[in-house]
Amino acid sequence: MADEFAEILIIGSGAGGSPIAHTLVRAGHQVLMLEKGPLLRTQEQSPDGLSDFKRDELFATGAEKRLTVPGMANIGEPFFSSHVEPDLNDEPHVYREVDGTDRATIEGYTAQVVGGGTQLYGGVSLRFTPDDLRLATFNAGRTDLLADPNGEVEREARDWPVSYEELEPFYAEAERLVGISGTRDGQEKPTSAEHYQLPLDPNPISASVAAGMDALGMRRYRTPLAVITEDHAPSGRVVPTDRESIKTAFVNRYGDPLGLKSNTWISLLAPIAGDPNFELRANCVVTHLEADGSRVTRVHYRDPAGGRRTVQANVVIVACSAIESVRLLALSGRHDPAFGTRIHSSGLLGRYFLTHCFGGASAILPTRADKSKTLDSDWATDHCARAGWIREQGLWAGGVIYNNTSDAALPISLARTWQAMDMDNIWKGYLSETGIVGGGFEDYLDKNFGRRVSVSFMANQVAQPDNRIELHPTVRDKWGRAVAYVIKDWHSHDQELMRILADRCGEILRQAGPGVEFAGQGGVGGSVSRIANHVLGGARFGTDSRDSVLDRDCRAWEFENLYVTDGAVMPTSGGANPTLTIQANSLRVGQVLLGRL
Amino acid sequence: MPVVVADKDDQYVLNHCTRFLARDGDERRHDFGQYTADDPRGKLCEAWRYPIIDSYSDGASVEASYAYNAVTFVYDGRADAATDVAVTGTFTELHAQADLRPVAFLGEPSGIWALSVRVPKGQVHSYKLRVDGAWRTDPINPQSVVLDNGRTWSRFFTEGCQIPLSFSRHDRELLGRLVSHLLPFRLKENSRFIREVYEGLDRRSREQQFPLAYRLDEEVGVVNYIDKLIARAENHHADDYHSCLDIIDGLLRTRYPGRDPLMLPRDAFADLYAEMATDQVTGWDTDRYGSPRHFLLLLRRHAMTGAFVHPRHGGNSGTAGWVYLESRFRDQQDRTLFDWRATIEAPLGHNTDYRG
Repeated sequence: MADEFAEILIIGSGAGGSPIAHTLVRAGHQVLMLEKGPLLRTQEQSPDGLSDFKRDELFATGAEKRLTVPGMANIGEPFFSSHVEPDLNDEPHVYREVDGTDRATIEGYTAQVVGGGTQLYGGVSLRFTPDDLRLATFNAGRTDLLADPNGEVEREARDWPVSYEELEPFYAEAERLVGISGTRDGQEKPTSAEHYQLPLDPNPISASVAAGMDALGMRRYRTPLAVITEDHAPSGRVVPTDRESIKTAFVNRYGDPLGLKSNTWISLLAPIAGDPNFELRANCVVTHLEADGSRVTRVHYRDPAGGRRTVQANVVIVACSAIESVRLLALSGRHDPAFGTRIHSSGLLGRYFLTHCFGGASAILPTRADKSKTLDSDWATDHCARAGWIREQGLWAGGVIYNNTSDAALPISLARTWQAMDMDNIWKGYLSETGIVGGGFEDYLDKNFGRRVSVSFMANQVAQPDNRIELHPTVRDKWGRAVAYVIKDWHSHDQELMRILADRCGEILRQAGPGVEFAGQGGVGGSVSRIANHVLGGARFGTDSRDSVLDRDCRAWEFENLYVTDGAVMPTSGGANPTLTIQANSLRVGQVLLGRL
Repeated sequence: MPVVVADKDDQYVLNHCTRFLARDGDERRHDFGQYTADDPRGKLCEAWRYPIIDSYSDGASVEASYAYNAVTFVYDGRADAATDVAVTGTFTELHAQADLRPVAFLGEPSGIWALSVRVPKGQVHSYKLRVDGAWRTDPINPQSVVLDNGRTWSRFFTEGCQIPLSFSRHDRELLGRLVSHLLPFRLKENSRFIREVYEGLDRRSREQQFPLAYRLDEEVGVVNYIDKLIARAENHHADDYHSCLDIIDGLLRTRYPGRDPLMLPRDAFADLYAEMATDQVTGWDTDRYGSPRHFLLLLRRHAMTGAFVHPRHGGNSGTAGWVYLESRFRDQQDRTLFDWRATIEAPLGHNTDYRG
């Protein structure tokens, strides 16, 4: 089959690929986007007026399947994935457990669908703080850092090659284009322009969290969420007459049939879908890139029926989410040793893989609320992201705290996430508590349904060279390609940071008012597999070609026309959910490219 | 009933095929014990999804459309380079044949063939494909049925189906007794409430939503949900149920000689449940099924899901599980604290922006 040609080829349609596509197409450039997953449409977009997403709890966690991947310690165990998460038997992520065994995991995937992870996420759209982007400077010369006997925290901290001031206009533009509701006052993240829509009224269950934050003197704001509450001109979306009906627990982990959740498909790609310069091919998986010297010349992919196809392109942008982007680049290096020599020139591809230090606390409230009418979060605070607080605590960085309102909001989700901290353990807690039966089942509902509230933190993880993505030596995906191998652990400073922030979350709930029953607190330091679907790093950008995989424009150092624009570029993970920052940086790289094309 | 074609485009078909069918190699990545060793379906991801059962719209009336599903038959003709594919079955008039169309990608045939048709909800049908003149069962869909004449046909069922497919009446009732111990609906005030739901419906709704009403006060459709689940999405658990229900029936007959297990008092099932939770059940045939606790946990997951699942999946009959939560949890002004109707599509719920 003859090569096709695209001026710009973008691999991946999520937070990393869509903003740059939007910028380039709007400026008149020709873009071809390849996306591994399906194009699931909203009611408005589909020919018969029905969405491919449903308000159906089995869409978030479907039928049981069993792991059949040879060599895995968890072979034979059940797993449950959503309708757009990859099948673990076809394309597992493998991580190395502390005991040295390998296990397949659903953690670390975003979603394979047009829109990527933004189709399933809760929509939390926070900026990073200015200090998040200059942690080397922030920590220079410090001797007060907790649990850092070998000085790694200071040594491995990096400033981003772009400052908050440089990134800020793109944050503002991302907020405008994506469509976000929330409030600004109280944030530690200055803005040059205000594009937030008004948030809807908080769920009554969040009043307790607001009271706890107030009691502790924490300035709070309404969590910015990528859910529109008003008509949104940039994407042409219109909200329902009854705005209260926008609040539904079928948001986090569900695609939105009405398109009110501002995923990148509805907010950034659909508005350019009719442009003759833009073509989106769903259900097309890129297998490897091919280069001639320093130019990537050709992209090899499989079409929806598995047929082999190729495209030539002037510029290639990789944005498959961090783990899969690193994997694609490493696989390309295997196909072509010359490509491999260039992409591995710094020896850092796959290294400094990051997720977040995260965790929180939960409680049971004396009064019940209708949690089925809620979005993902109501209140957030940057109290623990302030420079003074971070230094006082002996920490290297901080993070945001916000309450979750959509967890355990629906009856089946209450059970399947019961005592299950991650998606690998879905159902296990409820099933093994065999005392939840008969009258005990009613007690369980009485005590928990509509009464549970949780507060989470999302904070910087220490960057470590040995936390890395490799190609697994034996496990192959359904196309015969080596799968991603996740090797990581927490730093002792991470453990201290999580302990302190979990305690702050716990304190919010202890101060939440009379009758609040504290249920527990903690971080994810006890598990090496936990990722929160925030996959970051592995191809970090920087100003020194020996210390980074990409230059400050997110171009691979030894290539003329190869860019990475997803979370893989991050040198540090930031103290908040990463999506908005990925989007802002993608818009920034788009602007850089406009000056070059 | 002539075939009414549903409006599903090529993008829709490919969206439902690439992930499940496209692949290289011969590994049996998806055989969890539900297939014979030579069944090629073990290579396919979630073969049970075919034919694709989805919501239907006539483009005009949501209310009128809600009684139907769009059923999309798919034939993967990449290997045999098929040039002519059709389907016939009990869903068409006098077994009329309807042609599948070649599904295109970039204007070229992809090798995949498809046809979407309108079929009423709540039904079971058998069908066959005609590929280049030869009749055959669906090579993807694992469901089949042997007809009275001894011939094997492929089978599908539509949403909300209440027709038993997996269990005998005896097994359904025994399963109902087990489930009714797990979930609270057996308690006196709850069973009264469920009766009120049933009795509050008009006769037509009763017949449509509660054809098996005789046991709804106990298990709100969970048994039917499991019946459909092991017929399709979790067919790999069919043996768990058949073996364990047989073992349980046998051991109850041994424990209570001369009595029908279905008529035993609730305590008999409560005792059994408690023993299963410890994995030590007197009289359990562990050679036949190793872990009674394993089966109990399976049942717990299915019971919880079946009670509160969207009724399209065959459980939560007449939304009884949701109505239970809706009526049980209320604020001081007696407003519900589980307002599912605001979210769920009309006519099942009240939301008219979302069409289901």
